[in-house]
Amino acid sequence: MSELSVKHLLGIKYLNESDIQLIFETADHFKEVINRSIKKVPSLRDITIANIFFENSTRTKLSFELAEKRLSADVLNFSASQSSVKKGETLIDTVNNILSMKVDMVVMRHPNPGAGIFLSKHVKASIVNAGDGAHEHPTQALLDSYSIREKLGDVAGKNVVIVGDILHSRVALSNIFALKLQGANVKVCGPKTLLPKYIESLGVGVETNLRKALDWCDVANMLRIQNERLDISYFPTTREYTQQFGVNKKLLDSLDKEIVIMHPGPINRGVEITSDVADSKQSIILNQVENGVAIRMAVIYLLASKIK
Amino acid sequence: MNILLKSVTIVNGNNKDLHKKKKDILIKNGTIEAIATKIDPPAKTKIIEKDNMHVSIGWFDSGVSFGEPGYEERETIENGLMTAAKSGFTDVILNTSSTPTPDSASDIVFLKNASKNLLTKLHPLGNLTANGESEALAELYDMKNSGAVGFYDFKHPISNANLLKIALQYAQNFDGLIFSFPLDRNISGKGIVNEGVTSTRLGLKGIPALAEELQIARDLFILEYTGGKLFIPTISTANAVKLVADAKKKGLEVYCSVAAHNLTITDEALEDFNTKYKVMPPLRTSTDTKALIKGVKNGTIDLITSDHTPLNVELKHVEFDNADFGSIGLESIFGMLNNILDIEDTIAQLSKGREIFNVDPPKLEIGQPANLTLFDPEITYNFTQDHIHSTSKNALATGRQMKGKVIGTVANNQLVINE
Repeated sequence: MSELSVKHLLGIKYLNESDIQLIFETADHFKEVINRSIKKVPSLRDITIANIFFENSTRTKLSFELAEKRLSADVLNFSASQSSVKKGETLIDTVNNILSMKVDMVVMRHPNPGAGIFLSKHVKASIVNAGDGAHEHPTQALLDSYSIREKLGDVAGKNVVIVGDILHSRVALSNIFALKLQGANVKVCGPKTLLPKYIESLGVGVETNLRKALDWCDVANMLRIQNERLDISYFPTTREYTQQFGVNKKLLDSLDKEIVIMHPGPINRGVEITSDVADSKQSIILNQVENGVAIRMAVIYLLASKIK
Repeated sequence: MNILLKSVTIVNGNNKDLHKKKKDILIKNGTIEAIATKIDPPAKTKIIEKDNMHVSIGWFDSGVSFGEPGYEERETIENGLMTAAKSGFTDVILNTSSTPTPDSASDIVFLKNASKNLLTKLHPLGNLTANGESEALAELYDMKNSGAVGFYDFKHPISNANLLKIALQYAQNFDGLIFSFPLDRNISGKGIVNEGVTSTRLGLKGIPALAEELQIARDLFILEYTGGKLFIPTISTANAVKLVADAKKKGLEVYCSVAAHNLTITDEALEDFNTKYKVMPPLRTSTDTKALIKGVKNGTIDLITSDHTPLNVELKHVEFDNADFGSIGLESIFGMLNNILDIEDTIAQLSKGREIFNVDPPKLEIGQPANLTLFDPEITYNFTQDHIHSTSKNALATGRQMKGKVIGTVANNQLVINE
């Protein structure tokens, strides 16, 4: 049986194309499993996984936890708000304390870029990066590509535009790496203040006019405007942002072709997209959520098989 | 104490008669007594004879940090100066990075006393502002009279332009040297690495080169208005070199330095999120390193510094965002520079610049106090923890190939030899 080229899932940029194909094929199998009446397989009965979240998350955490439980792994949940981190314990000490309880795998969300990479060098456990600052969110990018593949048959050759706050977004970065690796054409779109100055070095196009971006694309991935993360104002008001970068039904209907609308959630309805767009048949937002469980099952299953 | 340096090759750009000549040098009670092809040692003479031993005047570093007072666990003054001596440096300028911060004459006197009678001479800087708070000027004149050779709020940019204007004006009647760290904090924001391709790939917050260049441009406009002496420590961008070159052409009295790692390493080293490469100013691009090396060679950049910054392991063994800025560098600067410059340039760069701080430059001549560095310019080796003399081990040079090694130093009638 083939296996992943990596021991940890730290970011898409550490994977190769066959890793992605293997994850997708494994996810195909698990997607079938989670649609059975008995949604659970005994594959990881001997594996203990700690979900360590140093940053708030609801859906990613739920998705991981469900994926782990569907695989019959034992699950530990740990969040920073109830932890010793606030008492000054270092990341390595915190994780090593948890690992002393014989944990095999750590799923970690952390506010600092590279935190998973740092940890992988200093602790003995498989690490899955569930988002590290503005660096990567690899399972999100995998489920996004998987959802495009499911909807359009293939990712290669497709035109994908990522709209919104690219500067602070790990979702954007991981998606760019994943889409480029699979041969898609990628553009980013948003106000210049939210586009990294050197983003083109990653092989993506830059478009500041939403209409032009939508005319070009097959898929539009609408990122959430994370006002809570912005330390200064990158645009005057949300209202003005929406006027320039929000997608509404009228705009969508005026395009020559039916494009696919994606969103990593949670949606600010009426900001990035209007409700009628979010709920339209062109939107695959809820498919993304379902596929998230299958993708995470695949990633955890494949990494666990490397532990054995 | 008598010392005889046997068959040592003299590297001394200023003296054509001695330059590249192999000689014996006799030092008697700290003074160069004789330089000749062969000297028979008098009784009770320590003879130093090593393979491929070269000698130059003692080296000078314009910006090192230790820890004492306040951070003795990082480095003490005594071991810091011993590290400097073992690394070839006989004069060092001490940054204002201790706590409490040296902002009064008595603080300067403490530093002078704590470093008395050691081989390497310590020349302290004083804070530019009281408590380093960037509000009001510290007692610059009083500190100068106690031995402060310049005034610097260590790595804290002067955000208030009027404060810099007043400092440059006020310090003129006592020939004070004002430091201004080149960073516009409004532009740099929460940035921690160079803004560029690497920061984009890694999702790390970037510091645009613009943040450094804007501040330098502002400072040079102010200097043109006020007159006086301005020192811009540790520049790191190509445009910064250009700005300083233009200002020197205009006749402004501006000096600047560059950290050795900004000449030799680019931000591509960050790919692994290794905190040893987290330094301020950040590692930049190869375009910058090329321009900086050119600036060193054509004299736009006056000084290369190790920017030696000891930090205990807890401050580096954390997530990249949470790590402190800085690396030790005294032990590796020679081996790193000698990789990119020829040996004569390397020695010239490491020996020059004392005049900027009114520190007397040593002379390699008979009758002069012996202030010498001994080194092997050819030997190559991989820099490891074993080469570190500092109390702290946060060296970005570990794992790098070095060319050239310090054998020892002679100064203040003392001798240190690396075994």
